[in-house]
Amino acid sequence: MIVKRSAILWTALGLAVVVAILFWKPTVLVYGMQRAGLYAAVAIPMALVLGIVHIVNLAHGEFMMIAAYLTYFAARLLGLDPWVSLVPVAIVMGGIGFIVYRLTIRRALKAPEINQLILTFGLGIALSQTVNLMFTSQSWKLSLPYVSASATIGETSFGVYDFVFVAAAIVLAAGLRLFLTRTRMGKAALAVGQNPRGAAIVGIDVDKTYAFVFALAIALVGAVGSIFLTKQAIFPGVGGPYTMKSFCLVAMAGVGNIPAILWGSIALGLAESAMNGVRELRNWSSIVFFVIIIATILVRSIRERKA
Amino acid sequence: MKNPTKWAVPLVFVAAAALLPLAGKALPAIAGDYPLSLARSVFTYMALAVSWDMLLRSGQVSFGIAGFYGIGVYAAALSVLRAGFSPLASILFAGIIAGFIAFLLGFVILRLRAIYFSITTLALGEIFRIILHNGGEFTGGAEGVIIPRIISNNSAVLYWLSLAGVLIAIGMSAWFERSKIRFALTAIRNNELAAKSSGIGIFKYMMIAFVATSFIQGIIGGIQLQGYGVASPSDSFSGDYTLLPLAMALLGGIHSTSGPIIGAILLGVASEFLKLKIPYGHLIVYGFIIVLVILLMPQGLYGLWRNKARARRVSRIDSGQASADAAARAGASKEQPRA
Amino acid sequence: MPNLVTKSLTKRFGGLVAVNDVSFSLSRGEILGVIGPNGAGKTTFINLVSGIYLPTSGTISFNGRDITKTPAHLRAGMGIARTFQLIHPLENLDVLENVMLGFLFSKRMSQKEARRESEALCESLALGGLHREVSQISMLETKKMEIAHALGNMPEVLFLDEVMAGLNSDEMKEMIALVKQLAKDRNLAVGVVEHVMGVIRELTDRVIVLEAGELIAEGPYAEVSKNPRVVEAYLGGAA
Repeated sequence: MIVKRSAILWTALGLAVVVAILFWKPTVLVYGMQRAGLYAAVAIPMALVLGIVHIVNLAHGEFMMIAAYLTYFAARLLGLDPWVSLVPVAIVMGGIGFIVYRLTIRRALKAPEINQLILTFGLGIALSQTVNLMFTSQSWKLSLPYVSASATIGETSFGVYDFVFVAAAIVLAAGLRLFLTRTRMGKAALAVGQNPRGAAIVGIDVDKTYAFVFALAIALVGAVGSIFLTKQAIFPGVGGPYTMKSFCLVAMAGVGNIPAILWGSIALGLAESAMNGVRELRNWSSIVFFVIIIATILVRSIRERKA
Repeated sequence: MKNPTKWAVPLVFVAAAALLPLAGKALPAIAGDYPLSLARSVFTYMALAVSWDMLLRSGQVSFGIAGFYGIGVYAAALSVLRAGFSPLASILFAGIIAGFIAFLLGFVILRLRAIYFSITTLALGEIFRIILHNGGEFTGGAEGVIIPRIISNNSAVLYWLSLAGVLIAIGMSAWFERSKIRFALTAIRNNELAAKSSGIGIFKYMMIAFVATSFIQGIIGGIQLQGYGVASPSDSFSGDYTLLPLAMALLGGIHSTSGPIIGAILLGVASEFLKLKIPYGHLIVYGFIIVLVILLMPQGLYGLWRNKARARRVSRIDSGQASADAAARAGASKEQPRA
Repeated sequence: MPNLVTKSLTKRFGGLVAVNDVSFSLSRGEILGVIGPNGAGKTTFINLVSGIYLPTSGTISFNGRDITKTPAHLRAGMGIARTFQLIHPLENLDVLENVMLGFLFSKRMSQKEARRESEALCESLALGGLHREVSQISMLETKKMEIAHALGNMPEVLFLDEVMAGLNSDEMKEMIALVKQLAKDRNLAVGVVEHVMGVIRELTDRVIVLEAGELIAEGPYAEVSKNPRVVEAYLGGAA
């Protein structure tokens, strides 16, 4: 089968790359995977919204940012470790997501897609600027003792804490898959995503499903935001790049294809990490995702031409 | 027949803008340095808002205004510093470079639709910025470059230059509206299949819109450089140059020349006061304006006015009860137009 | 020589074969009916002819010229026009402006000329109130506007995709007479996709029958409607 052949080729290529990196700079592999974990964890909730509600949330990164800020205050004012406040914050974010859906997104669903785009763009600005207004653009950071955990293999030592992002991504991917295939709400969500009218006919409340899915996605990206805070500095605009990269991954993977998001994240993470490892290329690493988008577009349109 | 009030706003604006500095001889309060520089800022954003709308008419939302604006700023600056261009030549060069880059990119990205196109334009600004940031000696790296003030510090001269820029934008937008291009872009925006079956080459017209719009953004960048004197990655590609024009065009009324003009005047002046009152986060207003307009008033202020005028016109031209009913329905049914 | 010829035209979408090895020809002065049960591939067929889809295999030629790879908008310019089944009147353009499109772009007229031609065309179709928004006109008027829009391309070949849908019997009579007159006056090659067999019987000289993407019968309606395979395809018989 042709499909299998190309899969084997890609796997072989991937393995070759990994081995090459291991010989060159093993830490690139480690940091690349950790990055990949973060990217995947942020992208998966966006894919959920896109696949079911069929809307791209350009404010996606901003919700992560808000969760991070909430977690920050929980830490500073209540003395709660982010891992402890993770669940409450996620729940609060879910509530926020629900309110945002009801007030804004729902109305835009009947409007043309361009309106939805502009809406979420404006939302993102409103959110990040609200935070800017309230807390200025200064960046804040927690210094937690456990984030500097490291391990040593042979002569190389590297930070291991960031593997929590990889764990988060895996938990999200697996959890979501279970949710969508095993639970009643999840199956309903899948049905709505594939055929809203058909689902409505069968008696599924489409609007409630949309609200739930959107709120769930915001809660999930909020959870990632809490984890994010443990290691990274936060500032009002911190979410922006993650929105773009998430979209890049989701677009590349195709709607509903979560494994592809994982693979894409690995590719993106490794590529960026590799470029960071080369001094001359360090300044260019943030362009990688764009190159990936362009490449994907070109490949897809060439394939379409042939069809 | 053609709606005569369609050109009222642009013409009134042009007349007022042209007269402003002259009025200042009599009334220094209107035409002192500060009001003129405020006006220049309004003109800059107005031109960018008009150009954004021109592409929007094809149905594509661009988040990349800042990208082509920044290209314009740098192209002008570098042409002066590295090739000894005169100020006017550098401005023209800026527009041409921006338009040319859009032309090349168009072959790749104009295949995209909706969110894919929009996000790509959003990323473009970042990409251009990073490339220029990493350009080493040639582009001045992270600090950018400074040009010696070639055009006099005279704020009146800078004013006329800015006005010329916005007139170019308005002129091109008016051309888009009066010529066949309006038909093509509207058809493409509504239904590409129907457009194709009318003989409209979709790629051709989208390219025209994309290049024209980027050309204008480049020109404006080049003009701004003359007054500002600095090209730097963080300033020249500031997200403000995307956010404000977008909000202005939306508020004023999209799919028109007059709407962005109105929006730019309103928000441009308001922005000055906002910046004073709210040091951090004054941009929040633009975010909320975008959200509120798109949800509650997507046709914008000018759109509201235009729909009322259209309803009146229809009932005048076609007589009879049936069309009077239709006119009444026209007033009510324009609640949710397509952006 | 026939004006429009397809040879072994096939369109595959992934695993689904929507149109399978269809060969037919159409000449000016004929009105051809295209019938078949739902999902038989009739609209796909029109999309292939008009260039919205490119075929997976097979060829299309127009007046002797191979147009298999020609993009849709160029085919419109050459003289192949069609109406759309799911009405997509272009909003933000009034009735007259919709009709003007073909004249403006396929025929590259100036706005003045296009306006004149469109007004004359609409008059000949008894379509008035040209400055109304497309959302405000009746069903019959919408169909007339669709046809006028297609005629703006000044075509030699015109495909009507279920143009009778949603009309009452009086309106259908008017439309049938209209199509006959247009076809005669302009010497058009017309393809009519329809579900209403009465219309097919009255309007067409010849009929082709599609089922599951394949051409299963061809001939005058009277013959084809008796063809057992066609009857079976419709599960119980046509009108």
